[in-house]
Amino acid sequence: MPPAYLGEFEQLLLLAVLRVGSDAFAPDVARELEARAGRSVSRGHLYTSLDRLEDKGLLRWKVAAGTAVRDGLPRRAYTVTPAGVAALRASRDVLQRMWHGLDGLLKEPSR
Amino acid sequence: MSGVGRDENTGPTKNAKTAKNAENSRLCALSGLCVHRRAAPPRLARWLLERALPPGVRGDAIRGDLLEELRARSRSAARARSWYARQALSLSVRYAWDRARRRTQSDNTKRSPMFLESIWQDLRYAVRSYAKAPTFTIIMLTTLALGIGASTAIFSMVDGILLRPLPFADPDRLIWVNEVNPKGNTMSVSWPNFLDWRARVHAFDGLAAGRTNPFTLTGRDQARRVDGRRVTANFFDILGVRPSLGRNFTQADDRIGAEPVALVSDAFWRRELSGDRAAIGQRLILDARAFTVVGVLPIGFRYVRDTDVFVAMGPFAGDPMLLERGNHAGYFALGRLKRGLTIEAAARELEAIENDLGLQYPQTNSGIAVHLERLSSRIVNTVRQTLLVLFGAVGFLLLIACVNVANLLIARGAARQHELAVRAALGGGRLRIASQLLVESSLASAAGGLVGVGVAAALLRTLVAMAPEGTPRLDDVRLDPSALLFAFAAAAACGIIFGAFPAMQASGVSGQHVVVRGRSGGASARSHRLRRGLMVAEVALALVLLTGAGLMIRTVLQLTHVDTGFRADHLLTMQVSFRGERWTDAKRVAFLDEVFARVRALPGVANAAAVLSLPIDGSQWNSVFVAEGQPVPERRELLPSAAMTPVTAGYFETMGMRLVRGRLFTVADGAQSSRVVVINEMLARRMWPGEDPLGKRLKQGWPETPGTWREVVGIVADVKVDGLSELTPLQVYIPFPQSPTSDLAFVVRTDVDPASLQPAVEAAVHVLDRDLPVFSVRTMDRVLEASIARERMAVLVLMVFAIVALTLASVGLYGVVAHGVTERTHEIGVRIALGAERRHVLGLVVRQGLSMAVLGTAIGVAGAITLSRWIEGLLFGVTATDPATIVAVVAMLLTVALVACYVPAWRATRVDPTQALRAE
Repeated sequence: MPPAYLGEFEQLLLLAVLRVGSDAFAPDVARELEARAGRSVSRGHLYTSLDRLEDKGLLRWKVAAGTAVRDGLPRRAYTVTPAGVAALRASRDVLQRMWHGLDGLLKEPSR
Repeated sequence: MSGVGRDENTGPTKNAKTAKNAENSRLCALSGLCVHRRAAPPRLARWLLERALPPGVRGDAIRGDLLEELRARSRSAARARSWYARQALSLSVRYAWDRARRRTQSDNTKRSPMFLESIWQDLRYAVRSYAKAPTFTIIMLTTLALGIGASTAIFSMVDGILLRPLPFADPDRLIWVNEVNPKGNTMSVSWPNFLDWRARVHAFDGLAAGRTNPFTLTGRDQARRVDGRRVTANFFDILGVRPSLGRNFTQADDRIGAEPVALVSDAFWRRELSGDRAAIGQRLILDARAFTVVGVLPIGFRYVRDTDVFVAMGPFAGDPMLLERGNHAGYFALGRLKRGLTIEAAARELEAIENDLGLQYPQTNSGIAVHLERLSSRIVNTVRQTLLVLFGAVGFLLLIACVNVANLLIARGAARQHELAVRAALGGGRLRIASQLLVESSLASAAGGLVGVGVAAALLRTLVAMAPEGTPRLDDVRLDPSALLFAFAAAAACGIIFGAFPAMQASGVSGQHVVVRGRSGGASARSHRLRRGLMVAEVALALVLLTGAGLMIRTVLQLTHVDTGFRADHLLTMQVSFRGERWTDAKRVAFLDEVFARVRALPGVANAAAVLSLPIDGSQWNSVFVAEGQPVPERRELLPSAAMTPVTAGYFETMGMRLVRGRLFTVADGAQSSRVVVINEMLARRMWPGEDPLGKRLKQGWPETPGTWREVVGIVADVKVDGLSELTPLQVYIPFPQSPTSDLAFVVRTDVDPASLQPAVEAAVHVLDRDLPVFSVRTMDRVLEASIARERMAVLVLMVFAIVALTLASVGLYGVVAHGVTERTHEIGVRIALGAERRHVLGLVVRQGLSMAVLGTAIGVAGAITLSRWIEGLLFGVTATDPATIVAVVAMLLTVALVACYVPAWRATRVDPTQALRAE
C-alpha cells in the first residue's frame, strides 16, 4: 500500500508528536507546534486533526491515568505508528525532490 | 480499529487511579492550598463541551487536557476562562461539523452533500450581506440580544425559584400543613394537635413537625447566634435526606428526657468543628444546654433557608407550655403524601380529624381548620406574584423585540426585492431563494441569541444582587441549560417567523416583473401595510409596559412617603437574645439598666432603649386581650387582639414617637410598681370610642384565664408595625420590667452616622457579658429599605424594560417613517417642485407617523386596563387603572413618537426637487 498523503498541518502534527517523544499528550503537542512552527492552533482544530490521523492509521493512543490538576480525568498518550513514519518519510522525499536544483533560485536574498 | 488501549484494557487500574486522583483533588480543594484550583471553567463552556465532545474516554481526555491547560494559565483567571470558552466553542463547532461530515459520508446519498454545501454557501452569503449593512445588522442584533437576554434572565429567575423541583426525593409529595383560626388567619400547629394527627392520619407515609429555633452558641471563643431548627426525629426521613456522616435522629431522640442530640449542616461542620470526623460525639452548648452532635448533613442540604443546627425534640417534648393544646407555638407539620394519593384527599382526611378534635376539645379547637399546601409552593409564596408580573413584562419585551426585528427584516426584504428578482431571473429556484432567506434570519437570531446569553448573564447577576433579603431559593438561580434552550427557542422563533415574511414575498414574485419594476424601488403596498400594523402593535405593547412601570414607580413613591410614626434616621438597631437559666427576670432588667447607662455615655449617642419588636419588622407577640367595661363577645374569635410590646423606659423618646395624651414610661415603672400600659391611637379609637381611655384597664389573655389588669396611662401616635403597606394593628406597650421577654432589639439614637457606633455599642454589651451574642445589626433606614425591597426590585426591572421598550418602539417608528420618506422622495420632490410649502410636507409626514402612534396608544391603554388586575397585588396607594399614571405615560410615549417622526419628516423637507427628479 502506498504511504498516505499528508496535508501540511498533518505533517506538522505528526512531527510534533515525534518531537515530544513517546507517549505525547495533546497539550504538549500544541506547545511544541507553537514553539517550533509558530503555529498557534485552536483545540478544536487540534483534536479533530488528531482524530483524523488516527482514522488514517498514522497515530494511535493509549489511556493514561489522570492527575489531580485535571480532576482525575484520563489522558491520551499519542504515538506515531509505523505507517505514520512511512507517510512522513514519503512526504519529505517528495519535498526534497521538488526542492532539488532550486537552491540557487530560492536562496535568501543578500542585504 | 486503530488505536491501541481503549477502555477495556485499562479497566481496574485506571478506575482505582481515577478514584484516588479524585480523592486527592477533593482534599486539595478542602485545604484551599492548591493554586491550580483557582480557575474554574465557565459553566456555559463546560455545558457546551459535555454535549459536543465524543462520549467516553475521548471526550474525557479532551476535557481533562483543557482543565489542565486552564489551570496552568492561572496568572490571570479571567483570561484563562476566556481562553477556555474560546477553545470550547472551537471544539464544539469542529466536532459538530465532523459529525455532520461523517453522517453525510455514511448516508452515501447524493442529495445530502449538495444540501450541506448549499447551506454552507448560504451561510457565507448571509455573513457577507450582513457585513455590508453594518447599521442594520447592529440594530437588529442589539434588539434581539436585549429581548432574548432580558427574557432569559427573568426566565432563569422564574425557573430557579418557581419551576425547578426542590432538591428532595419526590418533592411533589412533600406537603406543608398549618392550622387556620376561625378568622381565617394562618396559625402554627399546636403540638398536641400534631400528635393526634400523626396517630390517626393514613394519607401520609409520615408526618413530621418542626419550628425555627435560633440558638446562642457558647463555650467557644465568642458567643454566637446560630440558625437552628427543632424537628421531630422522622423529619429527614420524610425529606429523603441522610446524614453524610454519623447517624440520623431516631424515635428515641424524641422521647421526653432523651439526651439532647443535634445534626449539623456541612458548612457548620467545616466552619465550627473544623471538618473533623471526630466531631461526632462532641458537645455543642446551645442556649446553655449541651447537645451531642450525632451527624453531619450532606453538603448543599438546605431546608427553606440555610440552617446550621437541627435538634431533635427530646429536650422540649416535656415542656408543659408545649403540651397545652391552645398554644400554637410556631410548629409546622410536614408530611410525605402516600404514593397515588392527591393533596385534596389528604386535606379531607385531616379536616375530618380536626373536626373530631374540635368536638373533643371545644375550648381550644372549635372553629380551627387545617391548611395543606405543597412545600414547593409554600416556600415561594412571598415572591411568586412579583416574579410572574416580571415574567409577563419580559414576555411583552420579547414580543416588542420580535416585532421590531420583523419590521427590520421586512424593510430589508422589500429593499432587496430587486436582488432576489435578479437571482430568480437567473434561474435561482424559489425554494433555494426562500431557504437562503431563512438561513439569513436564523443566523441573525442565533447571533442575537448568543449575544443575548451574555446580556442575560449580566442581567441575572444584577437581579440576584438586587433581590430582596430572604428571597427563597436564590442559590438555585443560574443561567442554566433550560434557560438557554428558552433563549434559543425564542431566537429561532423570531428567525423563522420573521424570516418567513420576506421569504414568502420573495417566492411570490415573478422574476421578470420585479427586474423591470424593482429598480423604481417600490416596496409592495402589502409589506408597507404590514409594517405599519406591526408598528401599531409595538407601540401598544410598549404602552402596557410603561404603564406597569409607572404604577410601580408611584407605589414606591407612596411607600417612601408613608408616615411611619417615628424618626427612622440616625437610629441604630441590633438584636440580643437572653437564653439559659442564668438570665432570670431580675438579672435581665439589671443588665439592661447597666448597658444603657454605658451606651448613653458614649460620645455621639443621644439616647438608647430596647423593645421586643422593632417597628416595620413585624410584631413578635400578638395576643388577645380584654378591655375593662367592654362586653366580652360570645365567640372567642371575635375577641380583639393586639401587638404586645414590652419596652424599656426611654423607648418612645429614642424612637421620636409622639405622645398624644397622658404620660410615657419612666424608670419608676419597675417590676414592683403598679401595672401600667401605654396604648396606640388605633386601640384607643377601637376600644373606647368617644371616651377617655386614660385610667381604663385591660388584661392580656383570654377572659377566663387569670391575669393582671393593667392601667392605661398614656396614648401614643400609631407607628407602622408590620411593614409600610400594612394597616397599623392595635398595640399595647408594657414596661419591660413588668413583662421581661428574652428576645429584644436595642435602638440607639445617635447624633452621628449610626453605623459608625456599632463597634462601640457592641463593646459596651460585651464588657458586661462576653457570652451574649449581638446580631442583626442594622440602621433603621436599612430596615425600612429592606421592607420595600420587593417593590424596589419590581420598579427597577420594569423601568429598565419600559425604557428598552420605549427605545425600541421609537427606533422602530423612526425606521418606518424614514423608510416611507425614502420611498416617497420622488413624490415629495414633485410636491415641492409644484409649490408645496415645506411645513406642509413636514405636517404630512409627521401626521402619518403619529397616526400609527396614536392608534397604538389607544390599543395599549385598553390593553393596560385589561391587564391591570395582574399587577394589583403589588401596588400600594394607587389603583391599577390610575388615570394620572396613564395620562402621564401616554403623554411621554406620544412625545417620544413625535420626535421619532419629526426627524425623518424634517429630512423630507430638505428634499431637493431637482435632485429627486433627476434620480429617476
